[in-house]
Amino acid sequence: MNYLDLGIIDIHNALLEGKTTPLELTKEALKRAKEDDHNAFEYICEKEAIEFAKTLTKINENKDNYLYGIPYTLKDNYSTKDIPTTASSNILNGYVPVFDATIVEKLKNKGAVLIGKTTLDELAMGGSGTTGHKGTTYNPYDKNKERLCGGSSCGSAVSVANNIVPFSIGSDTGDSVRKPASFNGLVGFKPTWGKISRYGLFPFAPSLDHVAYFTRNVEDSAIILQALEGRDVKDSTSFDIENKNYLNNLSNYNLKDCKIVILKEVYDSMSDKDVVLKFDKLINELKNKGAKVEFVEFGKDLLEAIFPVYFVISCAEAGSNNANLDGIKFGQRIDGNTYQEVMINSRTAGFSELIKRRFVIGSYVLMKENQNELFLRAQKARRLIVERLNEVMKDYDLLLLPASPSIAPKFKDSSDKVNFDYLIADNHLALENFSGIPSLTIPLGFKFDMPYGINISSNILQEEKLLGFAREIEKITGLKNLSIKNFKELEKEAL
Amino acid sequence: MNFEAVIGLEIHVEMKTKSKMFSHSLNSYSKLPNTNTTEYDFAFPGTMPTVNKQAVINAIRVCNALHMRIDHELWFDRKNYFYSDLPKGFQITQQARPIGSNGYVILDVNDEKVKVNIERLHIEEDTCKQLHLRDCTLLDYNRAGVPLIEIVSKPEIKNGTEAMKYVEKIRDIVIYSGVSDGKMEEGSLRCDVNVSIRPCGSDKFGTKVEIKNLNSTSNIQKAIDYEIKRQSNLLLKGEAIQQETRRYDEMKKETVLMRVKTDAVDYKYFTEPNIIPILLSDEFIFEAIDTCPELYDQKLTRYTSELNLSKYDAEVILANIENCKYFEEIIKNTNQYKLASNWLTVDIQSYLNKNNQSIKDFKISPKDIAILIEAISSNKISSKQAKEIFNKALNENGVIADLIKNSSNNLISDEGELLKLINETLDNNPQSIVDFKNGKDRAIGFLVGQIMKKTQGKANPSLTSKLLKQEIDKR
Repeated sequence: MNYLDLGIIDIHNALLEGKTTPLELTKEALKRAKEDDHNAFEYICEKEAIEFAKTLTKINENKDNYLYGIPYTLKDNYSTKDIPTTASSNILNGYVPVFDATIVEKLKNKGAVLIGKTTLDELAMGGSGTTGHKGTTYNPYDKNKERLCGGSSCGSAVSVANNIVPFSIGSDTGDSVRKPASFNGLVGFKPTWGKISRYGLFPFAPSLDHVAYFTRNVEDSAIILQALEGRDVKDSTSFDIENKNYLNNLSNYNLKDCKIVILKEVYDSMSDKDVVLKFDKLINELKNKGAKVEFVEFGKDLLEAIFPVYFVISCAEAGSNNANLDGIKFGQRIDGNTYQEVMINSRTAGFSELIKRRFVIGSYVLMKENQNELFLRAQKARRLIVERLNEVMKDYDLLLLPASPSIAPKFKDSSDKVNFDYLIADNHLALENFSGIPSLTIPLGFKFDMPYGINISSNILQEEKLLGFAREIEKITGLKNLSIKNFKELEKEAL
Repeated sequence: MNFEAVIGLEIHVEMKTKSKMFSHSLNSYSKLPNTNTTEYDFAFPGTMPTVNKQAVINAIRVCNALHMRIDHELWFDRKNYFYSDLPKGFQITQQARPIGSNGYVILDVNDEKVKVNIERLHIEEDTCKQLHLRDCTLLDYNRAGVPLIEIVSKPEIKNGTEAMKYVEKIRDIVIYSGVSDGKMEEGSLRCDVNVSIRPCGSDKFGTKVEIKNLNSTSNIQKAIDYEIKRQSNLLLKGEAIQQETRRYDEMKKETVLMRVKTDAVDYKYFTEPNIIPILLSDEFIFEAIDTCPELYDQKLTRYTSELNLSKYDAEVILANIENCKYFEEIIKNTNQYKLASNWLTVDIQSYLNKNNQSIKDFKISPKDIAILIEAISSNKISSKQAKEIFNKALNENGVIADLIKNSSNNLISDEGELLKLINETLDNNPQSIVDFKNGKDRAIGFLVGQIMKKTQGKANPSLTSKLLKQEIDKR
């Protein structure tokens, strides 16, 4: 049985034709999940998934519901009723939420089957996939286990790249879906801020947090957006605008009508010759198809400011958002004689040093004597960067950039410290978190049998256009439905 | 040396909305702890705040009553600190942009008008209630997230009496606008007072002392006046005033040290990222103000100028909003306002006092009281009969309309019969006729009294006095 290796539409057709059933798919996904040895799972929902899949007996009444009976995984920073949720942090050990996140509820109503909760960098803070309380999550493309998976949505990326499920929900605050998508050969999509309800997503930095997800092709991304988008009364930042026709309208977009902008400084900062070569090849092919591709200077100082601005704002918000984790109400409590002792003991034992460092920075930048110089200045810089981005984007349909400087780096070459070699190339994906515009990573090529991707973004709420053009680019790259099982074959035919 | 006091008040008002400030759990009193709660109130990860529209409407109404500038954009901030009663580790409040700013109230203090300026009014959420036991602390999240408004005066209040009047004024506004119960004793209106003193004429501020846990307006007055005296004595003795928090001890009638204040806490305020600033349109603000229930001061003016009640009577009625509502119901059915006021503040109130009841428990409907008043004013029954009917209705569950019918049947309104009685009385009291003709109006009262005595109070009183004057003129 290999239906799980297919895209959602093909699995759906197999279900309609009676070739497989939701229960069969679920059992297969669970089996693959248990066999996975990349440390992708916090919790495999075996009992819950089978119980739910057994109720999915009405495929014929769900002909237009592509998600009926489709297994999926969920980053462990979404609230799931009666299912333990730790955000890969010890402070939440033993926490079993009493409510479902809005997106979980929506997927449940569609009949999508939750197979497991996936690992992440602790509390979604980090980009390596190495800082969760269960340790390193490995990149499934690297048999030697020497290279990063990327994060923070590391387990989600593994579960899709490894064909355990056709899609997985992650979250993206700086690049936490779109960067690992690049390292794992996946489509990683973050729609406009407010397009999908964040209710039930454990907040890292709400002004930057996005619900985002992995699929193996662009069509599937359109299907998931249709299922998840929409106004939620529980998230007052959610948009009251729905489209619901992304899949049908994919074919309305032709590259000859597409105006593409590339930021010159980002292009210049690309130091991996092989990646540049492939990137140039893509540009040529886009031009051949009639697209207009132009380079624009963004402003180096603004691009170099992205990382410090991101760090100041995200740490400030993170410290406040995670102040609820005090051992008093839920999660792991370490007792003490006073409430202060309980809080101090629980937080000391519950958070790793990396998290504490971020909280200290967050607290420091918000202090009265520093707030003007650090936090408010970062807010102003964010506004300037967003204004510049909007200015650049107003004449174009797409922003095209590399999704990562190269393939996934080796563990020994990476650290949580700022990497000045890649100050621009490694951090520019936060642009789309600053401004909230939709942004999508899609596989471009391979080096040492490791994938890397490109990132395309469109103006605010232009998801339909972005997906339409993304599918055209997918046709050029030839890497649709890429996974570790088929990449060698696909590579032969690829760009 | 003479000192003057500089007093500023911070008042927290619990709003009585249906749901809480940022969550949909019920905002109502519940005996069972932790029953009016949702996942937001416990700060479970992933929960998000949604702004309660009615709370915003309420805040606008109070801002308007306090003559404030109302911000047309609604912004919220996080106030970050760790405390066991604070579920999220921050409180959502309005630091940078309060909904209301630069207002004032005019107080009546010893027949003088005193203006107190108000700095700001902002919306925020309440914390958990803590119950400290010997070896543990219990937390009740029913109160967590209850909508509050905080009203901060400018430090312009000069003494305890002004402070008391100020709080009473605010209390009347929040009660009559329907925003709050305004009950200090139950904590739905809480007041913190900052008191400092300085030599008269000085423009520097002295060291500020905060007084907390004041549970009545009279305690506010007493605490402040005590505190001014205490601080003055310290300065006169050459001692410094500590920056500290004190409370008022009702038994000792003095303020008592709670804790010495160290450096101010840095709350690390920043804009709440989960609430996008909300635009308040002119229409929305106008509608909120336009639909605000009639306020205390408006009612006071209407009662004295339109209903011709004395200021004293009006104030007695307005002292309790439930009594006031009852009064308004009576006068829907009669325009005998003075009688309505008298019946409410004298007869009904003394019955309630005697039986230790509130107007809400009162058995007779305001409409029936109006019927009774109409019967008196149209001379169907005498006041004495009215009181009997009132007592019968209360003690024997009689129906007012029926009781009036029975009584008015007994009333002697037949002119022939009355004339006979009157002439008999005049014949027996020639001196009274002389007195009346000499300008002693009291004589009429005496004569009516005699007639009433003869008839056991059944003579139609107005007809009797009319006929009586007519007969005297003839003699």
